[in-house]
Amino acid sequence: MLELAGVTKRFGGVAALSNVSFTVAEGEILGLIGPNGAGKTTLLNCISGVYRLDGGSITFDGRRLDGLPPHQVARLGIGRTFQVVKPFASMTVRENAAVGALFGSGQAHLAPKAAFSWADEVLELVGLARKARLTVGSLTIPDRKRLEVARALATKPRLLLLDEVMAGLNPVEVDEALDMVRKVHAGGITIVLIEHVMRVVVGVCDRVIVLHMGQHLAEGTPDEVLQDRRVIEAYLGEKYAARRHG
Amino acid sequence: MSEAAFSTQPSRTGRRIRRAILIAFLLVVVVVLVLPLTLTQQAADANLDPTTLGIDFAINKSIVRTETTIAMFVALAAAWNLIGGLTGYAAFGNVAFFGLGAYTVGFLTDKQHLSFALALPLAPLVAAAFAGLIGVPLLRLRGHYFAIATLGTGVAVGEVIKNLDVFGGATGLFPPILRHADALFFYLMAANAGLAVVVTWLVMRSRFGYGLIAIRENEEAASVLGVNTTAYKVGAFALAAALTGLAGGIFAQWSSFIDQESVFPIQYNVQMILMAIIGGAGTLFGPVAGAIVLEWLILSLAGGGASAVYAQMGLGVLLAVTVIFVPRGVVDFFGGSSKLSLGYFRRSLRETSV
Repeated sequence: MLELAGVTKRFGGVAALSNVSFTVAEGEILGLIGPNGAGKTTLLNCISGVYRLDGGSITFDGRRLDGLPPHQVARLGIGRTFQVVKPFASMTVRENAAVGALFGSGQAHLAPKAAFSWADEVLELVGLARKARLTVGSLTIPDRKRLEVARALATKPRLLLLDEVMAGLNPVEVDEALDMVRKVHAGGITIVLIEHVMRVVVGVCDRVIVLHMGQHLAEGTPDEVLQDRRVIEAYLGEKYAARRHG
Repeated sequence: MSEAAFSTQPSRTGRRIRRAILIAFLLVVVVVLVLPLTLTQQAADANLDPTTLGIDFAINKSIVRTETTIAMFVALAAAWNLIGGLTGYAAFGNVAFFGLGAYTVGFLTDKQHLSFALALPLAPLVAAAFAGLIGVPLLRLRGHYFAIATLGTGVAVGEVIKNLDVFGGATGLFPPILRHADALFFYLMAANAGLAVVVTWLVMRSRFGYGLIAIRENEEAASVLGVNTTAYKVGAFALAAALTGLAGGIFAQWSSFIDQESVFPIQYNVQMILMAIIGGAGTLFGPVAGAIVLEWLILSLAGGGASAVYAQMGLGVLLAVTVIFVPRGVVDFFGGSSKLSLGYFRRSLRETSV
């Protein structure tokens, strides 16, 4: 479905991503893990068109994505959230989601009324329906993360890129968020998620890719990757490995 | 707190009060709209009868003039609101579009001997085309960089036109005078003001409007949701330019003499922004209310030497007070969600008394 080949992105002299290649198959949940600064968010920015590549190519269903502006990538059916939430602060929760519905993939001529009813469905799915008429300012952090997901879902994506939607949530909230991800996935949406919470990665991911210093370090099922010596050295640490096996 | 506390549905008495205010407002609008017709008719009658010539005539003319000027600023402030209020790009050079519209009409009527009726429709087109042209590079800038770039553009356009002999150079242009047309100019300006409000209303209800507000709130998020940010920003800029250019075109014929100083005044940039912000940037009627009140204040205070200085000082203080205490404008103060608004006060009274 999505294919990255030799993706390279430099900021000045620093190579944030060098020669990263992998594919995402339709229907899977792919985890993207790695230490801070590994290039995970940069990779999402490259896919969604926020950054231009310095090398390599990205194709989505056979169409080249690199070089396209973000709005065209969105309309092809790729939705994303931001690690640091970026809500439309003066709008209500419902209006936030409606913007996604109004402009997303294949929605070019959706009338505002239809967009709002689709927004309501999406808010129901992520559990924000009761707060639809509140402004964003009165939402808690977990709710703001849900709103990010709702807005991206409202664009009717076929591929959803989630950037640390569970960071900063307490264990109960993480469970709720996991449920939400499973529900979204059950709706037929392919998911790529960046996550530091290993419980999430093991819990929902079919496959995991580890990035380290802008490079593709390892790839495999969650169990394989978490036992990989290189991954333990670069990211998880000996204590984590000991705990898992101890 | 219950769900009802967040309800925006007005209570029954609230609705009755609102209806009364609306009717009173409509009455005022009718009087304001009809007044110029009767006043200029009296003036025309007075013109025929030399014995009554004098003070009444002058007063009537000046009332119509005041109303026309206010209508012009309503259009300018409402047009600025499209790019500055809805889209959140603080354009400081909209006077360039006003001047371009004015010079389009001036050039076509004076140098090309086209009639005013034929020349006027071209004014908004020229202004919008220019906005489209400069909008593509300028709207890549954000915040004060954009403000300064537009300010510079506004000044530059005036200077360039002043130095082109085709456009009359420093002498200016003289559209042929239309006699007894005071009422016509008022109605043209008022129609343009009305058009600006209707356009804003349509934009705010549309997909286009949601896109603009999304850009204002977070441009990056808007773009990954599918908003073509460049096209939308340039579109809003061109729409604002068209309405501003139309006002300039009407102004050129109304004043029957234009030069760089009269149609590229830098203070218009500041005034239209002040009006929109004080009234409530990003709202439908805020810029209208701001323009009426402020321009009326400016016209009535700036009569003599010393009072003009006080008027300027007063405007400055007013802006500071507005931005600090009611940043979302006067319209928000009366009905809105601001904690300093009367609406908030009323709601909290109701909640605590129950």
